[in-house]
Amino acid sequence: MNTSDIAAPALIKAGRRKRGSTRTKIVLILALVLPGLLLAILFKLVPLVRAFWLSLMQTRGFEEPSFAWFANYQSMFRDPTFLQSFQNGATVFLTLPVWVVLPLIVALLLFQRTPGWKLFRAVYFVPYMIAPVVVGIMFRQILAPEGPLNAMLIGVGLAPLAIEWLNGPTSALFSLTAVALWAFFGLGVLTYLSGLATVSQDVMEAARLDGAGFWRVLVSIAVPLIKPVIGYWTVLCMSSMLIWMFPLIYALTRGGPGSSTMLPEYLVFITTFEFLNRGKGAAIGMALFVFAALVSAFVVRRMYLDGKGERS
Amino acid sequence: MTTESNFATLRQGLQLGCAALVLAAAGLAAPAWAQDTTSIKVLNWQPGGPEYWIALVEAFEAENPDITVELETVPFDRYPEVQGPYITTRSGPDVMQNNSGLELYDRRSAYIELPPETLAAGKNLITYAGGCLNFDTTQPCYGLPFGYQGNVMYYNKAVLTQAGLNAESPPTTWEEMDAACEAVKAIGKTCLAHGMTGVFPAYWNFPEIARNFLTEDDMRAVLAGDLPWTDPKMTSILEAMASIGERGWINSNSPSISMLPDGADIFASGNAAFASTIIADAVNWQAFGAALGDENVGAMRWPVLVADAPLANSFSGTESAVFGVSSWTNKQDAALKFVEFIAGTENGNLLTSLGGGIALNNNVDPSLIPESQALAQIQEIIKTPTLHAGILLSGQEADALARGWQEVTLGRLSVPDWAARMQVALEESPGKN
Repeated sequence: MNTSDIAAPALIKAGRRKRGSTRTKIVLILALVLPGLLLAILFKLVPLVRAFWLSLMQTRGFEEPSFAWFANYQSMFRDPTFLQSFQNGATVFLTLPVWVVLPLIVALLLFQRTPGWKLFRAVYFVPYMIAPVVVGIMFRQILAPEGPLNAMLIGVGLAPLAIEWLNGPTSALFSLTAVALWAFFGLGVLTYLSGLATVSQDVMEAARLDGAGFWRVLVSIAVPLIKPVIGYWTVLCMSSMLIWMFPLIYALTRGGPGSSTMLPEYLVFITTFEFLNRGKGAAIGMALFVFAALVSAFVVRRMYLDGKGERS
Repeated sequence: MTTESNFATLRQGLQLGCAALVLAAAGLAAPAWAQDTTSIKVLNWQPGGPEYWIALVEAFEAENPDITVELETVPFDRYPEVQGPYITTRSGPDVMQNNSGLELYDRRSAYIELPPETLAAGKNLITYAGGCLNFDTTQPCYGLPFGYQGNVMYYNKAVLTQAGLNAESPPTTWEEMDAACEAVKAIGKTCLAHGMTGVFPAYWNFPEIARNFLTEDDMRAVLAGDLPWTDPKMTSILEAMASIGERGWINSNSPSISMLPDGADIFASGNAAFASTIIADAVNWQAFGAALGDENVGAMRWPVLVADAPLANSFSGTESAVFGVSSWTNKQDAALKFVEFIAGTENGNLLTSLGGGIALNNNVDPSLIPESQALAQIQEIIKTPTLHAGILLSGQEADALARGWQEVTLGRLSVPDWAARMQVALEESPGKN
């Protein structure tokens, strides 16, 4: 009996063991991945496909729908309110830097233990805890022509700034965006604070000993070290601007005056439930989905490339 | 363990056993009791107020001990947004409320056609045509009403007097209204308290101006979608609506506030001379009387714009809300009983005595009608009814009318462009094409 004769059964056994362990690993992987995959298919992919299918249907009130190819999309692009809603969406998008930078500055101030930081940390987060509809109702009163904001402006001698905030096309959209930022801002501060918690205090201390001021620390230390968190927050803000504003619009302006605060998500709602045109509502919803997916993909890809660059 | 303690344990055990038996018996009996009672859900915006609705439900349940009513009450101006998802998903309430006319017709697939025995409950109503297709009781009917509805202009006599005007002789023409508004503004008050956000302010005020330009045949053409918005009659209505802002009748923030409650609040707080709103339900003569004192509140028809228009001195009236049975309910019999009760005399009496409404039922006890000068004026105004042009508009048209009115008032849209938008809305209206 040579050595190979002795080794062969052992190798076969080892092979079997390896195959067995690979099979176990595959089963384990499937067991872990499948539930998530199934949930994603059931609750994300299926509704999306159904929405797309509905967008191809001609729906007249509550009558039985009929297949109409891309008629809803054609009607959508002819609709000036649709175009204005996306134009309004783009205008809101221009405020993105404020949404990203302002909470970062506040978070860094809190991180540096500015006097009263514990109180401010709670105060900034409170608005996020208030239901958006309540925020909307609250600001309807605050922004009223004879409301507290204008009373305060007049009181401090800034009467020319006491405008009818919700009456003008620009001021109404600006007010809506500002209220949304007020409500959403606290979450940004908290997100950045959790990112900053991973930054070593020694690094900050060393920078300060080297004479770095607040802005230098912000630009040269904080931003590079928490870049992934900033990227994450940017994606969240962008999608929120497109799909989170509904309750505020509903309570604050109803998309008006005219269509000056009409955003695509609100248009989906009134087209579907007020005009009873489910097909066109779904088509606008698909356009909104594509738009949100494209901008989010752009930022996510940017984050991915940045991360890859840092690793290499 | 002693004998006494053994007995005590046994006694406790027996007591527990008896208690368990009683509970079990109750448990067995409960489903039998539950099976005898049908619970129906009624989607409504509570026209007439909570006190009236509590009494209505109590009276109905007393008359039908085998049926219980669960109310799902939604604010009037948010009603379409709540009802829409129910209809789309074909689930939810057993009985639903809608405005009569096109709003109901647009949703008719969500309702069952009322059977003749239910429609018989409408025989004592002044009219129930607004619950039937094309305002025709020989065609399918989907709901029965209980009250009468429409717009009047309320006025505050104290403010008019303060402005040097004769409170007993409010303006009857647009020229007189112009003069009254100048006088009211001179004392630092708003002339016509107004709010435009949402669909309803436009929907309710449009008919008051439309009566000056349209005949009843024209209105039927509007309902059928046969009268384009580019027609001179229709553009004249839009021009008149646009001019209200230019004439300075209304508060400048009107395009961004709601009529209910914001606009009504301006009037109820005594800061305006006039407010245009409905005769019953949400905010009416009763609410204004409570806020300003009955002696200070008057009601008048909207001033006339075109003196020789055949309907200029009519009242744009409609059955207020109608109640129908949802097509998906499996409690149809109980739901139909509720709809019959809505149209009945007992409910008419409750609406008159508790809801501040104007009942459509002919048999309502006249002694129940509250004493109020404004209500007496309304009773006179409604004696010359005509069709209500607002309820002939589709959802698309009403939305375009409301948004267009806001923009025109802010000077950002011309009337021809508004008319063009209205025409697009008409062409997009499923019920009119």
